[in-house]
Amino acid sequence: MTQFDATPAAAIEVDGLCYSYGDLEAVKDVSFGVRPGEILGFLGPNGAGKSTTIKMLTGQLTPKGGTARILGREIGHDDPEIQARIGVCFEEKNLYLNMTALENLDFHASLFGIKRPDSMEILRRVGLADRAKDRVSTFSKGMRQRMMISRAFINQPSILFLDEPTDGLDPVTSAAIRTTIKQEAERGAAVLLTTHDMFEADALSDRVAFINEGRIVAIDTSENLKLKYGKRSVKIRLRDGEGVREEHIPLDSDDTSGRLAELAASPDLLTIHTEEATLEAIFIELTGRGLAG
Amino acid sequence: MSRPVSRRAIIGALLKKELIAYSRDTLYLVLTAMTLILVFVLFWVLPDSVDETITLAVSPPVKTLVSEGESSLRALGATEEQLARLDQADLTRKQPGLDLVEFDREADMAAVIEGRLEAWRTDDGELILRDPATGEKKPEGATRLVIDIGIAFPARFIGEVAAGARDVRVTVYSDATVPEEIQSAMKSFIREAAYQLAGAKVPVTMLDETSLVLGTDRAGDQISMRDKIVPLLAFIILLMETFSMSSLISVEVLQRTVSAVLVTPARVSDLLAAKTIFGTGLAFGQGIIVLALLGAFTASNWPVLVLTMLIGATMFTGVAMIVGAAGKDFIGQLFYAMLFTMPLLIPAVSILLPGSTAAWVQVLPTYPIIEALVGATVYDQTLAQLWQPLAYGAAWLVVLYGTGLVTLKRKVESL
Repeated sequence: MTQFDATPAAAIEVDGLCYSYGDLEAVKDVSFGVRPGEILGFLGPNGAGKSTTIKMLTGQLTPKGGTARILGREIGHDDPEIQARIGVCFEEKNLYLNMTALENLDFHASLFGIKRPDSMEILRRVGLADRAKDRVSTFSKGMRQRMMISRAFINQPSILFLDEPTDGLDPVTSAAIRTTIKQEAERGAAVLLTTHDMFEADALSDRVAFINEGRIVAIDTSENLKLKYGKRSVKIRLRDGEGVREEHIPLDSDDTSGRLAELAASPDLLTIHTEEATLEAIFIELTGRGLAG
Repeated sequence: MSRPVSRRAIIGALLKKELIAYSRDTLYLVLTAMTLILVFVLFWVLPDSVDETITLAVSPPVKTLVSEGESSLRALGATEEQLARLDQADLTRKQPGLDLVEFDREADMAAVIEGRLEAWRTDDGELILRDPATGEKKPEGATRLVIDIGIAFPARFIGEVAAGARDVRVTVYSDATVPEEIQSAMKSFIREAAYQLAGAKVPVTMLDETSLVLGTDRAGDQISMRDKIVPLLAFIILLMETFSMSSLISVEVLQRTVSAVLVTPARVSDLLAAKTIFGTGLAFGQGIIVLALLGAFTASNWPVLVLTMLIGATMFTGVAMIVGAAGKDFIGQLFYAMLFTMPLLIPAVSILLPGSTAAWVQVLPTYPIIEALVGATVYDQTLAQLWQPLAYGAAWLVVLYGTGLVTLKRKVESL
C-alpha cells in the first residue's frame, strides 16, 4: 500500500461525470473542482443530482461516464487511500442508535486505524461532550445531526462531503454547524456541501454551483453570480405627500451619481437599498424552477 | 494523516461493533435467553428412558379360555400335568415386555380402550374399573393402566378352533392412536394362534433365537425422547441465532449505517467477513456450549459434532444474510425469516416422528446436518461413519453461504 504524496492544486477534480438509474439520467456531464480550504456549495432542488454526485465521489456509486480525481487519485477503484482522507456526512442520520456518542466516534475512528481518537474533543466542538456516554437513540434530531458532522470530522479529513448538513434544523443548531464547517475549511479541508437552502449556500460557500436536472447550469462565487444575474440598481423610497414613492436608479447610467446626490439631499428621503439578486432568484432565472421543488 | 489501516484491524473493529449492537438489543438477548431456557427445560422434562412394555387386554380371562377349552387341549395331546400347570400359571403377572390385563366382560374392555372407563390395578393385582363421569373417587394405592389394544375371544375359542370351526369371531379393539402396523401384528398373532390350535403349522421356519435384528439390537435399550431431542435442541440454537443475525443485518441495512462504514477504508469484503465470523461464531459457540451441557460429547463423536455444528452455523449465517438483505422493514424481515427457516426446520422435526423420513425431506439443506447430529449424539457415530451426510451438508453450505454473500453484497452496494 502506497502513501499519498501528492498535494494537488484541486482536492476534487471532476470532468464530465455521468450517472443514470436505469433510463433516468441523474447526473449529466458534470465538471467542477474544489481547492483545499474552499467550500463549494451544490445548490439545487431535490432530485437535481446533488446526492448522486456525492455518492460517486465517495465511492458509493460507480460513475457511468466521465472522470473524477480525489487528491490526485482517480475514483472508482475501491481505493482505501482515498477513503482514508475523506469525511462524509450523509443526508440520512445513519448512526448506530444503540451505541453511545463516544462509541460511535471511537468505532468510526478505528475503521481509519486511529488508535487513540480525540472523540471527546470533537464532541466538545459540536456541543455534545456532556452527552458523550448517552446512547444516540436518546438524542434529538439536532443532536443527531451534530453527531453526523462530528463523525465526518473524526479522521481530520482532507475533503469533507456534506449532504444537506443543516436540513430541517433550528436556526441555532444550523448556525453552530455552519461555524464548525467553516473551521474545517480554515484548517485546510476542501468542502463540498449540497443544499437546497440558498441562505446556507450564500452564508457558507466560497463558490456556488447551481445544479438542475443533473447538469451544472452556473458555477461561480456568490458575489459574481449576483453581479452577473442580479440587477445593478438601487431602490430609493421617498415620502410623497401622505404616501410613499419608490424609485429605481440603474447604477450603470451616465447620470447615476448626479441623481443619487440629488435624492440623498432630499428631505423626503426615507431609505436606500441595493437591488442585489438572491441566489434563489438567480436559480429561478437560470432554470425556470424554484429550489424548493 | 493516519497510517494505512490493516484489514485485520478493520474486521476487528467491525466485530467489536457487532458485539456491542448484539449485547445492547433487548430483542436479541431475550430471544437467546428464551431459547436457552426452552432447550434446557425441554431436555429435563422429557423422559430419559423408554417403557418397552406392551399392555394388552384380553377378554375373557385366560383361565376361562383354558378351562373352556380343556377338552380340546386334551385332544390336542396336552397331559394332565401340563393342564394343571397351565391352570396354576399366573398369566396376568407382568412379563418382560408384556403386561396382560384380563377383563371378564368384553364391553368393559372396549369402554376402557375407548376411554369411557378407567382401569386401575392394585398392588395385589386386583383390577378396578372407574367411571370418571360419575365423579367417584380414584382408587387409593392403585395404578392406572393405559390400554391401547385388546382382544376379545369367544369363551370357547380354543375348543372351536381345535374342532376346526370356520366362523370363530375374534375382535381386536384398539385406540385410534395405535399405529396400523401394531393392529396388523395383533391380527397375525391371533391367526397364528388359531393355526396352532387347529393343528396346522404356519409354513414359516423360525430360528431358535426367535428373530434376527439387523444393525444395533436396541431391545431393552431404546432411545429415550431426551436422547432423541438433543440434535433438535442443537438445531434450535442455530435457528434462533439465525433470527438474531438476520435482524442485526437488517437493521444495519435499513438504517444505512452500512453506508457510513463503506465510505471509510473498510470494504464490502471486510463487512462480509465480520458478519460471517460473528454470525457463525455466535451460533457455533452457543451450540457447542449447549451440546456440552447436555452431555452430548463423547470421546468418539466430538470431531463429528464440532464439524457438523461448524457447517450448520456457517450455513445459517448464509441464510441470515439472505433474510437480512431481503427485508425492507421489521415485518418484511420476519416474513422472510419464516419463509426461509421453516422449511429448514422440517428435517429437525422429522426425527421426532416415527417411521422413515420422506424423500423430499431428505433433499432439504438441513437434512444432512440433522442426520449427522442424530448419528453423533444418539448413536455415537464417528466421522468415518458420517462423512456422507457431512459432505452433502458441506455442498449445501457452499450454495447457501455463497448465495448469502452475493445477496448481501449486492444489497449494500445498491444502498
